[in-house]
Amino acid sequence: MSSSSSSISSDDEPNSNPKPVDDELSLASVTLNESNGNGSINVNENENNRQDGGEIAWGRKNSEVEVEALSSPSSSGYAGERGSSSETTNSRIEDDEIQQVNNDDGFVDGVNHSRASPWVPGKRHVDEDDASISWRKRKKHFFILSHSGKPIYSRYGDEHKLAGFSATLQAIISFVENGGDRVKLVRAGNHQVVFLVKGPIYLVCISCTEEPYESLKGQLELIYGQMILILTKSVNRCFEKNPKFDMTPLLGGTDVVFSSLIHSFSWNPATFLHAYTCLPLAYATRQAAGAILQDVADSGVLFALLMCKNKVISLVGAQKASLHPDDMLLLSNFVMSSESFRTSECFSPICLPRYNPMAFLYAYVHYFDDDTYLMLLTTSSDAFYHLKDCRIRVETVLLKSNVLSEVQRSLLEGGMRVEDLPLDPLPRSSISHRMSQQRLLTDSPERFRESSVGIGGPAGLWNFIYRSIYLDQYVSSEISSPINSHQQQKRLYRAYQKLYSSMHEKGIGPHRTQFRRDENYVLLCWVTPDFELYAAFDPLADKALAIKTCNRVCQWVKDVENEIFLQGASPFSCATDKAEFAALMLESYL
Amino acid sequence: MGLASVSTASEGIQFCIFDLRRGQNEGQELDKILFFFPADLPFSTQLSVIGLSEGLITFTRIFSPEAACEVIEAERHSHVFYEAEADIWMVMVVEKSKEAEAIWRIEDLRKVLKEVHSLFVMFYGPVRAMLEKEPNGGLIRSHLYPFIMDYLSDFLVGKKLQLPSFRDCLKERGNVQMLTVGREAAIEVQSLVRILESCVGNTQCYSLILFQDLLVSTTLSPDDTINLFTYAVQRLTPHALSSGASSWSYLRRASTSSHAGSGSTLAHSGFVSEQIYHSSDISPSGDNNHHVSRPLQHGKWSKGNDGFLVTDIWGVDVGSSMIASPTVWLQQTEERMYLCTYQYKGLTLILLMPVSSILNGEQGVSAVKQQVLENASLKILKVEEKLSKGWGGENAYHVGGYRYLLVDGDRNISRASPPGKVTTLTKESLLAMSKLREEVDLEKGRAKWDNAGLEKDLEVCIRAKNNAWVIARVTRGKELYMVLEKANETLLYASDAFEKFSSRYCNGAFSLD
Repeated sequence: MSSSSSSISSDDEPNSNPKPVDDELSLASVTLNESNGNGSINVNENENNRQDGGEIAWGRKNSEVEVEALSSPSSSGYAGERGSSSETTNSRIEDDEIQQVNNDDGFVDGVNHSRASPWVPGKRHVDEDDASISWRKRKKHFFILSHSGKPIYSRYGDEHKLAGFSATLQAIISFVENGGDRVKLVRAGNHQVVFLVKGPIYLVCISCTEEPYESLKGQLELIYGQMILILTKSVNRCFEKNPKFDMTPLLGGTDVVFSSLIHSFSWNPATFLHAYTCLPLAYATRQAAGAILQDVADSGVLFALLMCKNKVISLVGAQKASLHPDDMLLLSNFVMSSESFRTSECFSPICLPRYNPMAFLYAYVHYFDDDTYLMLLTTSSDAFYHLKDCRIRVETVLLKSNVLSEVQRSLLEGGMRVEDLPLDPLPRSSISHRMSQQRLLTDSPERFRESSVGIGGPAGLWNFIYRSIYLDQYVSSEISSPINSHQQQKRLYRAYQKLYSSMHEKGIGPHRTQFRRDENYVLLCWVTPDFELYAAFDPLADKALAIKTCNRVCQWVKDVENEIFLQGASPFSCATDKAEFAALMLESYL
Repeated sequence: MGLASVSTASEGIQFCIFDLRRGQNEGQELDKILFFFPADLPFSTQLSVIGLSEGLITFTRIFSPEAACEVIEAERHSHVFYEAEADIWMVMVVEKSKEAEAIWRIEDLRKVLKEVHSLFVMFYGPVRAMLEKEPNGGLIRSHLYPFIMDYLSDFLVGKKLQLPSFRDCLKERGNVQMLTVGREAAIEVQSLVRILESCVGNTQCYSLILFQDLLVSTTLSPDDTINLFTYAVQRLTPHALSSGASSWSYLRRASTSSHAGSGSTLAHSGFVSEQIYHSSDISPSGDNNHHVSRPLQHGKWSKGNDGFLVTDIWGVDVGSSMIASPTVWLQQTEERMYLCTYQYKGLTLILLMPVSSILNGEQGVSAVKQQVLENASLKILKVEEKLSKGWGGENAYHVGGYRYLLVDGDRNISRASPPGKVTTLTKESLLAMSKLREEVDLEKGRAKWDNAGLEKDLEVCIRAKNNAWVIARVTRGKELYMVLEKANETLLYASDAFEKFSSRYCNGAFSLD
């Protein structure tokens, strides 16, 4: 500890939490029409129909996603994420678990149960409404509604049946607003109700999942971002013209996008770290991919991203443009959850909320195989054929340089495993050597004997996440025994979230170090100007050994950083030239 | 202090008590309001505060039937809820002012609500019972108003109410602080208790003994002990009697605020009477016919020549035309008791005897007092001598290098660094500790709802931005919080310092092995 704390000690370094909540997303003028305070929920069809122009403008988008909505609920690419591709119609899953049936208390109990029920995309329990006991007992609800109280999205239950409930939420928000304040959170027992107001859009989460307020609020921000990604913030204008505007048709068929995002809150650390992660690859392989992406970027592509599932293989931005990790998360979620992107090459308008919430970009998406896809983003709505050509060039180079097969190999091999944590610093060979071959040598004297019996790494290390501040990237160790089930993974990430928000406490944070022990884990966290480390250990782990192990993890990450991080990609900056998007403003459509 | 300054004081805080069983018909909404501060707020505003509270209680019960709304956090205000009795809610709305001082722990504020209610019940019995006695609500309102205003005046600093803030993060409301006594002294105290209680005769009676502001002995139930101890420290102990003198007590707000001189006493009484006068003007049932004793009124207790504390708070006994003895209502026995307080130097003895079994009322009480003087005087002298010899003064429980709070939830006991020592901590450290305590509060709350009976076991060590170590350890119903500002930079060093404290001062209760 003492050795590493010396690197933590500098007071002059910039705050290691580089991303304050984005103000860009919130309107300058969020003041709501007082007349909305009455909670009126009358649906006036005629009024809505006056939005014809709007609907036509969005129509292209809608038709595309509606097709997806009709597709089988089991057609997601997510199944592989959890090492299971079994497609079952079993709907007893995840967060929609009713409280009493919760498995969170027993590791052993959790194993088989959650393995047996993979996540199914799309909306479930549509038959429920706020009168159903089962609905009331869902562990985590998400709602989007308009400032007039019209439901836009509900994670569970049919939005239309929830109109009354939605009006209640609206009434609470506007009641407080009329008193010159803004409600953020209501706590009752182990339930939290979190409110987020984004201009005419209200978002609400009702949860009993123990996640801290800041995490739930961050999740609402992402859900709002996902909505903006589909519609742009210009949708606000519809509400300016008609406060009772019904937004549901605009989002028709996108249930699957939201449900997959909500699912990712429980397995994807990017959702709370605001950083992205890379697929581990040999430096040369990633360089090769980066070179061809750079090549096409130079020909008028704004962003070129090559991804494997939720992990980046390489990405390139034109000139000064850079992508915010949240935008990458929302974009890849949109693409991966929409079946139509898989079946053919697609060209779709999307908005990057952190980049420019007001304007559409156009995304050309092509899957090279089940997991690997290329996204080329442009400002030009008629660039399809150019981007298609670019894709062909990229594909040719990737095939020639074996990048795609390397990607598949890496996918099979997985990333860093706690069992492989080197005992002491050694001259390093390539990551593939350390991540694959070494793993086979289960009785290697370099490794702790426990590793072979599946109780994690040295000193009871179960998992870690290392976030590089400068790179906006993180690497997390593979989820492995004894974190066996998705339930356990979810619980671990929720513990990380608590740790994260405790470390980044508003006003006094970030703290430098935190050690936390409860019934489930020993957690250690370091925040330095360069990196953040989150590590989870066996709850009985020895403090001194845990600290030593964390030091070793940091060393290990540094040793292999060329393979696990995308080097040289410019970190996110807000310096984007918004003028060039002016032409794309939706104003003309609305 | 005029009315104008009172409304200045109320700027940042609203405090109401309402009954969900009342005023459910349109036009009768005012009926549900039992108390509202500040009383000069328009009824529409009062009803709006209560309306929001009621709405959210109903709303949250949809998802959380067993525990309704506890807090609303808005951008500018926190609304803290406490269901004091079934359907009787207390809500405090506090403003998050721009000055950073207005940062508090919700649980700390809720304990304020809990405390004022418990004290109220100790003097008058449950709110519901009083409502049933007089259903139009006049009786309860005329009691609640002066009582709570007197209570709140303890938080008055200058013209502002200053509620517990992050600076109080190493204090714990709602429990008692004990004096550590040696074996010999303990035996003396025991025999004193026996002598005291024998003075009452064959009737079941109870006693409480304090030395300075610390509890030495009690024969009351835990809840009653906390209430009576709280009252004693606020109004009866030598420190409390010399009102205005700065005190090191954990309970008294005066410890950290700038109450100065005897002028503050006047200010206090002015603060209340102005409000009472005002409230009777506008109160929906404005009759002021009830004689209302004000046990929390300042400057009303004094030490008589015989060593017993006297007060005219309870008026005059009609039968004997003597000053009426104070009475309290015990939760455990649900019985009204005479409260007899004797003071000798730092020693305060409280004797409680059932009103129902003392014949001849005030004369009976006088007889008991006489017995005490005759039988216990020598013992009292001896005990006082023993205790003051062994006492280390205000900083007796200071441990060099540590700033700590130790709470034993099972025994309702806490001990902490002396406030004067805590104030040496930087604001950053205090904020970090306050936030950490908030986290621990949440964890404890969750444990309470998730698995009843299973106690939380938690250890958190944080090295804050200012390099201070802020540590919390919760185990087997005990909690230890610690700020180490001058500790070395390593986690192991901080843990070691924590362990040392645990083994030396807590019998190793927080040690890991």
